[in-house]
Amino acid sequence: MSRPRSVRQSMAWLHTWSGLVVGWVLFAIFVTGTASYYRPEISHWMRPELSAAKPDPAAAATRAGAFLQRTMPDAAGWSIKLPNAENPAVEVYWWRSFSGPFHHALLDPASGERAAVRDTQGGDFLYRFHYELSLPPLLGRWIVSACAMILLIALISGIVTHRRIFADFFTFRRDRSAQRGWLDAHNVMGVLALPFHLMIVYTGLVTLSAMLMPWAVQTAYRGDILRYYADAGIMIAGRPPAGRPGAALPLGEIVSRAMAAAGESPELVMITHPGDAVATVTAYFEEPPGLAHLHPQIAYDATTGVELGRVGEAGAATRTGAVMVGLHEAHFAAAPLRLVFFLCGLMGAATVATGLVLWTVARAPKNAAPEGLGLRLVRILNLGTIAGLPAGLAAYFLANRLLPVALDARAEWEVGAFFGIWVLAAAASALYPRPKAWSVALTVPALAFLAIPISDALTVGELRFLGFDLAMAVLGLLLLLAARLAGRRAAMRQPSRANLHRAAEA
Amino acid sequence: MTVSALVLSLLLSFSGMSALALSLDRHHRAVFRTPVSRRRLSGLRAAGWSGLGLSCAAAIASAGWSFGPVQWIGSLTGSALAVVALIAYRPIALRAAALAALPLATLMLPFALMR
Amino acid sequence: MNTSPVGAHSGRARAYRLAVAARVLLASVGGYGIAALASALLALISSGTRAEAVSTALIASFAIMAAVVIWVFAAGTVGRAALVLGIVAALLTVALWLAGAFQTGGAA
Repeated sequence: MSRPRSVRQSMAWLHTWSGLVVGWVLFAIFVTGTASYYRPEISHWMRPELSAAKPDPAAAATRAGAFLQRTMPDAAGWSIKLPNAENPAVEVYWWRSFSGPFHHALLDPASGERAAVRDTQGGDFLYRFHYELSLPPLLGRWIVSACAMILLIALISGIVTHRRIFADFFTFRRDRSAQRGWLDAHNVMGVLALPFHLMIVYTGLVTLSAMLMPWAVQTAYRGDILRYYADAGIMIAGRPPAGRPGAALPLGEIVSRAMAAAGESPELVMITHPGDAVATVTAYFEEPPGLAHLHPQIAYDATTGVELGRVGEAGAATRTGAVMVGLHEAHFAAAPLRLVFFLCGLMGAATVATGLVLWTVARAPKNAAPEGLGLRLVRILNLGTIAGLPAGLAAYFLANRLLPVALDARAEWEVGAFFGIWVLAAAASALYPRPKAWSVALTVPALAFLAIPISDALTVGELRFLGFDLAMAVLGLLLLLAARLAGRRAAMRQPSRANLHRAAEA
Repeated sequence: MTVSALVLSLLLSFSGMSALALSLDRHHRAVFRTPVSRRRLSGLRAAGWSGLGLSCAAAIASAGWSFGPVQWIGSLTGSALAVVALIAYRPIALRAAALAALPLATLMLPFALMR
Repeated sequence: MNTSPVGAHSGRARAYRLAVAARVLLASVGGYGIAALASALLALISSGTRAEAVSTALIASFAIMAAVVIWVFAAGTVGRAALVLGIVAALLTVALWLAGAFQTGGAA
């Protein structure tokens, strides 16, 4: 690097190596994050006991309040996600301190007791994995953020490196050398979805910006982030606890007032300092139509039910940030647009995967020379991540259907199946014979995904899960197609090696 | 934000992207077996950019100023991917597909603008 | 003496690795540092309300960090990159001091 070289050369170097070092983690983030666009659907499928109902949010809130009062009366906060037509269960969280741990339960809206559903993390596991990697939350978020920043660098340096973005915009030379084919595939996936890639990585960083860059709040607010949120129109300012007990109204009473004030049922109510004389109930409503992720909020005094205030109007910069968060999560998106985001997410995963494979193909030893240690390691990690992660994903869904419903710590077993099968599939793919490795490694998750609809039909078999089962079958067939293509390529490569090498050098 | 609005902007940008692809010599040769003439080049380019422009206008007219641009960019990605796949696997079909997309788009127009 | 070509070669390889490591270190630490300083400064001097300035600073900080990292890898030599980064960091610190970031209890 100390030798003089052009900017394009150093950017090519930067793109290659920054992409490689975080490629495997990025692939996992892209795949689980993309799946998270369908987090509610995944959670529904994984909790088949919950059926759609038309619950009464006010009554459900009162019952959930009673449950929380019994469970942790001296909590720092409770949160109650109210039932709606889409999600019939009441989801409650309670915590003693903001640094956690956050306890969680699903309640039956009719009884206010824990709902009789199988124990599972549902789509939340994949969602949290995509920004915490199942590590301790802070550590995981910092690692994912570092990977995101490196991806941003890889994107910028990739744009500079790519000499012929417009001339090669539509170019995919599948019949030329392997290296040319992978390079074209990487370029097509990367360039065509470039707006999405840039958006998703930058907005992802903005989502975690308060943790990653606390310095602005430090200088302008002396670190008082809650005051910033209140000033910016993101949250309502809180009140310090009085330290003496108070008698709170039934929560349903406050939810009814919120419904009367806003004309719609709140999505969530949060109770701070429950049991205290100045306990506050904040009602959060669904975002109004638009791109910005800003929830209208009304705060009530928990003991008197008097309205304390509403969230302020957000300014242009705050709104811009909220639009970024909104774009990242795509909560706003109706079904067709959400599908577009989902497909773009898959293209992101494909860009990473093709880049990783390209790295090995470009360095494949010529003339039957032995493979170096680094190359072998990358090849095995590629197989283990690109083919292994889908196998783990399928195992997560299969475990949900096949494990006994009353199994102890069932949710942990499902997560165990995800990691266990991923590791197993990765280890096995290291042992497959070289030319067939990709086709065998991809056939494993293909068959596992195809087994999901079958196991669902045999254990639950409800018509409302047909869409999910079809999607799993399509994923299985796509993986099968990829396995066949990989197999054909391997078969093709054997006789005409010399030819391909000549083309690669051209 | 309905399906028809998305399909409309996809069809229009598909036609536009096809014309832009054909304005590149490599793909023009693959489809027509002749190099692209200078007159043809400017015609294809004009057609291509107007396809993309119409797609943008259709997306904004049907989905509004906030969702419209998002939907338009999504349709650019999707239609370009379709063009790449056609050129790689069925180059001969590209022209017919691009032309067929236009009447289909006209057909979609009333559905997309209906709210 | 006959090992000198090999020695020179491995010496060059080592210098190369050191230079790469220096750039990676400079890009990550320097990139984050400049972004943090710039973000802290933007929160004090951006137009609009205090909250709006903070929002601007939060959103802009990652673009600043990315620009610094790219520049560190594009710069001719590591030494030059380090020198420029040092000067920028010093200027930002002075600006922060002028904006009153280091007075206790001032801005809040």
